[in-house]
Amino acid sequence: MNADVLVEAHNLVKHFGGERRLPFGRTPTIHAVDGVSLSIRRGETFAIVGESGCGKSTLARLLLCLIAPTSGSVMFDGREVTAESPQALRGLRRDMQIIFQDPYSSLNPRMTVGELVAEPLKVHGIASGRDLDDRVAAVLRRVGLRPEYAARYPHEFSGGQRQRIGIARALACGPRFVVGDEPVSALDVSIRAQIINLLEDLKAELGLTLALVAHDLALIRHTSDRVAVMYLGEIVELASRDALFEMPRHPYTRTLLAAIPVPVPGRHHHRAVLEGDPPSPAAPPPGCRFHTRCPFVEDICVSERPVLRDAGAGHSVACHLADRLPPPEREAAGFVAAPARRERLALFTAAQEAASRNGH
Amino acid sequence: METALRRVPTSETLDQAADLSAPVLSVDGLAVRFDGQSIDLIDGISFALRPGETLCLVGESGCGKSLTALAVMGLLPTPPARIVGGRATFQEHDLLAMPARDLADLRGDRIAMIFQEPMTSLNPAFRIGDQIAESVMRHKGVSYREARYAALAMLRRVRIPAAEKRLDAYPHQLSGGMRQRVMIAMALVNHPDLLIADEPTTALDVTIQAQILALIAELQREAGMAMILVTHDLGVVAEVADRVAVMYAGRFVETGPVEAIFADPQHPYTLGLIGSLPSLGRRESRLATIRGSVPPPERLPPGCRFSTRCPFADTRCQNETPPLVAVGDMGHHVACFKAPLENHVAERAA
Repeated sequence: MNADVLVEAHNLVKHFGGERRLPFGRTPTIHAVDGVSLSIRRGETFAIVGESGCGKSTLARLLLCLIAPTSGSVMFDGREVTAESPQALRGLRRDMQIIFQDPYSSLNPRMTVGELVAEPLKVHGIASGRDLDDRVAAVLRRVGLRPEYAARYPHEFSGGQRQRIGIARALACGPRFVVGDEPVSALDVSIRAQIINLLEDLKAELGLTLALVAHDLALIRHTSDRVAVMYLGEIVELASRDALFEMPRHPYTRTLLAAIPVPVPGRHHHRAVLEGDPPSPAAPPPGCRFHTRCPFVEDICVSERPVLRDAGAGHSVACHLADRLPPPEREAAGFVAAPARRERLALFTAAQEAASRNGH
Repeated sequence: METALRRVPTSETLDQAADLSAPVLSVDGLAVRFDGQSIDLIDGISFALRPGETLCLVGESGCGKSLTALAVMGLLPTPPARIVGGRATFQEHDLLAMPARDLADLRGDRIAMIFQEPMTSLNPAFRIGDQIAESVMRHKGVSYREARYAALAMLRRVRIPAAEKRLDAYPHQLSGGMRQRVMIAMALVNHPDLLIADEPTTALDVTIQAQILALIAELQREAGMAMILVTHDLGVVAEVADRVAVMYAGRFVETGPVEAIFADPQHPYTLGLIGSLPSLGRRESRLATIRGSVPPPERLPPGCRFSTRCPFADTRCQNETPPLVAVGDMGHHVACFKAPLENHVAERAA
């Protein structure tokens, strides 16, 4: 295993359902994750993107061993975590943490903020007594909350503050690998930016490795180093951020990128709109799973399942036609913000920073 | 499928529209207050909407954009919310003063509304064909057969696959994107003159969102329907809006043509919203943020409601409400004492 790699997945498969039901038959099998292999390098932000039901959250939970795979394995720092005993796995949790999407349902309403943040420290026997209180206060301060808040309950906080509590809880025991499962999608736009900036600061400061599960492509473009695109339980494309956004190879990635509304008036006068819904993960189509909606579909796509293969420069794509597809439509020359907007935004940012320096 | 998502308004067509067509809807000084509160949660909202025009109401949760839409539709939960001032005129009808019965005749016929969550408008116990047909029978007085035929035509129009079969489906048998399309079919089946859409695509994936937006634009182009779109997604705004109203804590802080709002944003809150969006282009800098969060109604300052979070606010901003004043001649208005910023705060940045 490459020393640069912190987390590695080999051919992960997770099926749900398929249980025997009396008198005959079985519940349908949901192919949530179907043969995913990837490696996440130390210190990078690895994004997993896809639409609802593509299996991205299941994959994140598999990487953390929060659920057991149907087959396949996960290595963390050279250890095969899928083969560890429950006790050993519990010890490993110190190193692997998750930040959940919904700050309203992921915090126990009957525990104070202090108790919530102290819990992982106690479970792992990291601190107790005065030391515990100090550590809780330090973590709270680090995520931008006042230490006095430790005595309050989650319902007293806004969504953005609750997400800070969730982050404090995930970081309390000093993990090396943190998964953010849609960490900002439940938040308002301006609060979102606060949390994204906080995550970036924490990552740099604590040397974290981050896996980000998201459906917001602009967010991924802003924060990640490498991106895996999922469709119906499979990775269809994996590349560095700039390569993926500027030279997408898979037809699905292209339609996904084209579908994003861009905050530039007049930009999208014409565009291709993907027809139909994604097929059910209980009955994924044969061959390439995207062939039912792909504008370039050929016979081979219906009969043969494409494998994810290297297309050069660390860019992998699972498409039979990848080498023959026309180049993606280029966006018109990059958007240049009007001078008035740029100047005022600069004033705003400068004043905001000055205000937060004086204010806190 | 190639679909033009926006009509392209040239200055000529804009002028024509301004000259020739009377507004479909005009709202003047709308104010809404909740029982037991001492301030108006919606405070003096005014706008006018012409046929075929799309106005986007933008702002964060709790800013009053949905409340404004509900007030215009006569759907405010009263009590506790009450309209305490203003007028709303829809094609000569005074929406705020008319009897509930007459309003019910307009709603679902001349004015329609779609919501973020389709299950709030679909009855889980009835087949979707019958639900759509009911609206046609109620307003057009036609037979069940004709109404059902209209429902079928509309389902085809919103591209529900196998529409004949789906007429007899129950809402739970459809995917989220399909339910949203059914709700749109139900809203548009009587060809309304005004559509109020409250976050219609927020819960959907981007590819389905693109389908729905394209569909609405197409129907709008054909029928000249005016639309109020409530959203927090500036990408969607840039794509579909003719005009934009940025709302903060119950007031319009900036309104204008969509091009002006994006190219020449004036209000610090608009700037914060635009700056806090990650871009799809190469990364330029950290995201701008807006400090803190919206204060609860009882703690709103007497002056500019954004002053508690604004990095430029002074005592005047805190105590005096800035009026919406025109900047430029394109109908661009801003409510800020410090606009344009470069003239008022240049020395601070130096």
